[in-house]
Amino acid sequence: MRASTLLSEILAVLAKELTAELRSRVALNAIGLFGLTTLIAVAYQIGPYQIQEQDRPHLLSALLWIILFFAATSGLSRVFVKEEDAHTAKTLRLAARPLAVLGGKYLFNLLLLLALYALIVPLYCALMGYAVRGVGGLLLVLVAGAVALAATTTIVAAIIARASGSTTLFAILSVPLVLPLLVMLIQGTRAAAASSELAVVLPALQGVVSLGGAVMIVSVYLFPVVWHD
Amino acid sequence: MTDNRTRALLHFSLGGWVLLVILAAFFYAPSATGFKGESARIVFFHVPQAWVAVLAFCVNLVASIRYLRKRNPLDDARAAAAARLGLVFSVLATVTGSIFANVMWNSFWNWDPREVSIVILLLIYAAYFALREAIPDEERRASLSAAYAVLAFVTMPFLVFVVPRIYWSLHPDTIIGATGRLKLQMESRMLQTLLGSLVGFTGLFFWLYTLDVRSARVRLARRGREEA
Repeated sequence: MRASTLLSEILAVLAKELTAELRSRVALNAIGLFGLTTLIAVAYQIGPYQIQEQDRPHLLSALLWIILFFAATSGLSRVFVKEEDAHTAKTLRLAARPLAVLGGKYLFNLLLLLALYALIVPLYCALMGYAVRGVGGLLLVLVAGAVALAATTTIVAAIIARASGSTTLFAILSVPLVLPLLVMLIQGTRAAAASSELAVVLPALQGVVSLGGAVMIVSVYLFPVVWHD
Repeated sequence: MTDNRTRALLHFSLGGWVLLVILAAFFYAPSATGFKGESARIVFFHVPQAWVAVLAFCVNLVASIRYLRKRNPLDDARAAAAARLGLVFSVLATVTGSIFANVMWNSFWNWDPREVSIVILLLIYAAYFALREAIPDEERRASLSAAYAVLAFVTMPFLVFVVPRIYWSLHPDTIIGATGRLKLQMESRMLQTLLGSLVGFTGLFFWLYTLDVRSARVRLARRGREEA
């Protein structure tokens, strides 16, 4: 009974986030346009022919994740910052239990990241001439990356929402926590691009999933403190 | 009175111990083979500095968890004191590591996974203080920075153990090998000096930490009296 109530609360928070976002489209526009602008700048200046053949695996996977991560940072903090800015956080505290708020906001950020990846990754492969042999492996890396990145950025967004200069703080606080994740994701993407076998992405996936899982578990314990203080 | 005498004795012992470690690092420990000149002697200072940076991170975690459980402002002061020292020692470890890298590989910075690990630790400490500066309310500052400290600690095992295993590293092997077995393959006098230095730096950390916490305790007590 309690589990189903929690689930319905999580889905209600997610529905609220989606309705509010589709009404204003601030986060969608910020993330999508930031991603597109950066991609165009990179493709225009570097393109498919400016990189030496031996450097392509390293540079293309790193550039892809730099574009994806920095585009994500432009919008993911909004999920909590907007509640403080609009003074709706108190109402939300009364309406839903902390775990439901965390779950709903996490799912919303996850959907935003997946939408960003769906837009940017095919365009990046086309514009940069990035031939990926293991499409299945790349999809696994992208999904695991979105799950783990959403977990870290959601709890950091909750922490910074109640500080002054929160948008700047989001990047400062999240970059050190996300760097190990990005290193493993770049490694996984490079492995997927080089081979069609799924096994090649497993070492990176293990790291990404375990770090994402650890952050999620810690977030469940920390969020009530962050949310109510 | 006895307390003061014990404390003074401990301070003199610590000073003497650190002095002995410095002398041992240059005159007692033999030269290491496979390294340029006497560059390997930096290990007696660089490794303990990196160890203290990580130790400070652990102390910061324990104090942060204690704060979240008991809401004692002194635990917040303990967490901040540990982080302050952690920041200083991670800067020192980065600088000494860079000097060693320049002597060995002719470059101050090689983007080695272990170099990156200590820099990320440094960034975490810096972010911790950026967060503290941005929250004027003391209670909220204490609880949110404690939450960030706990969250940041989760990434530590990945920085120290996972990322260096994924990427090839120039860095000399650590004491705990990749197999998880202890690998203390060091000449006995070098090992004695390194262990002595680890004890000395740990003592130095706790001395500085205690000073910072005592001053915070006085500050809190004075404020309590003013409010009463």
